[in-house]
Amino acid sequence: MDSRRVKNSSSYLSPVAGVWSAIEAVEVRMMPTPLGMQPTEYIRQSWNNKPYGSVDSLSVSSVHDGKTLALKVSWQGVSPEGSDFPDALAVAMPIGESPPLALMGMPDKPIHILRWTASNPILSSILSKGIGLSDHGPSVVAGAEAAKQNGKWHLVMTRQLGVGKNIAPLVEGKSTEVGFAVWYGANEERAGIKAFSVDWLNLTLDA
Amino acid sequence: MSDKQVAMVMDLNKCIGCQTCTVACKRLWTRREGMRHQWWNTVNSQPGTGTPHGWENMGGGFKDGIAQVGHRPTVDEYGKAWEFNYQEVFYGGKDHVPLTPVDGDADKGPNWDEDIGAGEYPNGYYFYLPRICNHCTKPACLAACPRKAIDKRENDGIVLIDEDRCRGYRFCQEACPYKKIYYNETLGISQKCIFCFPRIDEGVTTACSRQCPGRVRFVGYLDDPEGPIYKLVHEHKIALPLHPEYGTQPNVFYVPPMSPPTLDENGIATDKPRIPIEYLVSLFGSEVEGVLDRLHKERERVARGEKSEMLDLLISRKWIEMFGPFGKHPRDVGGNPVQMVTPEPITDKGGVA
Repeated sequence: MDSRRVKNSSSYLSPVAGVWSAIEAVEVRMMPTPLGMQPTEYIRQSWNNKPYGSVDSLSVSSVHDGKTLALKVSWQGVSPEGSDFPDALAVAMPIGESPPLALMGMPDKPIHILRWTASNPILSSILSKGIGLSDHGPSVVAGAEAAKQNGKWHLVMTRQLGVGKNIAPLVEGKSTEVGFAVWYGANEERAGIKAFSVDWLNLTLDA
Repeated sequence: MSDKQVAMVMDLNKCIGCQTCTVACKRLWTRREGMRHQWWNTVNSQPGTGTPHGWENMGGGFKDGIAQVGHRPTVDEYGKAWEFNYQEVFYGGKDHVPLTPVDGDADKGPNWDEDIGAGEYPNGYYFYLPRICNHCTKPACLAACPRKAIDKRENDGIVLIDEDRCRGYRFCQEACPYKKIYYNETLGISQKCIFCFPRIDEGVTTACSRQCPGRVRFVGYLDDPEGPIYKLVHEHKIALPLHPEYGTQPNVFYVPPMSPPTLDENGIATDKPRIPIEYLVSLFGSEVEGVLDRLHKERERVARGEKSEMLDLLISRKWIEMFGPFGKHPRDVGGNPVQMVTPEPITDKGGVA
């Protein structure tokens, strides 16, 4: 996927901004995380024969202006108010060499995740070295704006370009990889009970 | 595995359901943000639905070593204490305003069926069952957490949720068969009884045990032969775990309640206890019958003038000995010892200072 270079990313902050219609979107296939990879027997037992991660695909597009990258993600699945767990979306990128996406990082191949939830306007920055091992991540300049329309979430996540300790590098003219995860709160999805994008998607920032 | 295991024994023959333990814990630990609905210590009337309502049918725990699916209690099932219109009654300026719940907020409270019990007059019966987190040897909560946010301390077996690692997934809430874990919506984390570990670390017993006016609770190490816990659980064998079939090996034990005999239609005592044995077996397992037998026999021996170490332990004439190695006064430990000062005399200026 290309992150198209634009003059000013600030025009793209809103997920319903008209300018997004000119940016090509990519369909990212999603599937539920394998039950066998859930870290504890309790989770494997309680979610056995319970469907989860039913989001088929995400629609993803991206722009950047040399300073800030904006990533627009749309997907089906808005939970009603009052759900115990919030709808959420996570965007993961490798910090160095990428591990298999399904492992959520490895001790020597950590990944950097920015996570949005419907219940918190502030993104979480997460450093992950494996399943069940995510921890507080590096400070990054990032933000999000979300809108819901007809049961669909439309989210724009922004992040400052650059490199840094434990920060996934985003450099114009360079490529990186991106992975996604989605939680549908009304189905009590949280932790590893989610849909994920199976494998890394290549993301190239236009020079 | 822990080297030593701190444990508690509760004598159900002495609990009067005064809830001092509940309030002691609430005042010490759960007055903070997001903790209003949390009752780390509960005392319910049994038979009854308990707190949360119907917790004994909410699954969790282990069966044949396999993790069992559990229900996560809803806010309503935990029960909400009522908010009353105190402001209006006391300061509203109107006469005869009845004390009523605010905004129709009058659903089942946490201890809804208090003192209802079971049975028909003259053979009605109930007893009080105080409960805290059992700091199990095989905690279902610890096993369920995908982030390993729950740990069992090596040195004393106290089970603690690491509030920094917890993400509020609440699998622990589902897995705990005793339903003793609460969720803090403000902080987004799960919380539960901590066995007053900051006090235990300083040699002070838990708030619930120390505040109990009924001398119900013994605290000590399970494997310390000199301590009250070992003697009650292993030596005299009169303290039993609650619902051992949940498979988590709880470290809170109960001396089962004796009860007066049932009366027949002529008002004559029968040889059946008021609290049905079957009910006690359903709570404490089949050994409860033998335990009650031993308790009765020991009382008869003392009535005849003989000595009984078992009853001496239970009577607890020396209150502080109930707490084994945790007999220090809270005032005497910690960085800021409380200083007793002579209060200023109250001058007669009227009103509250």
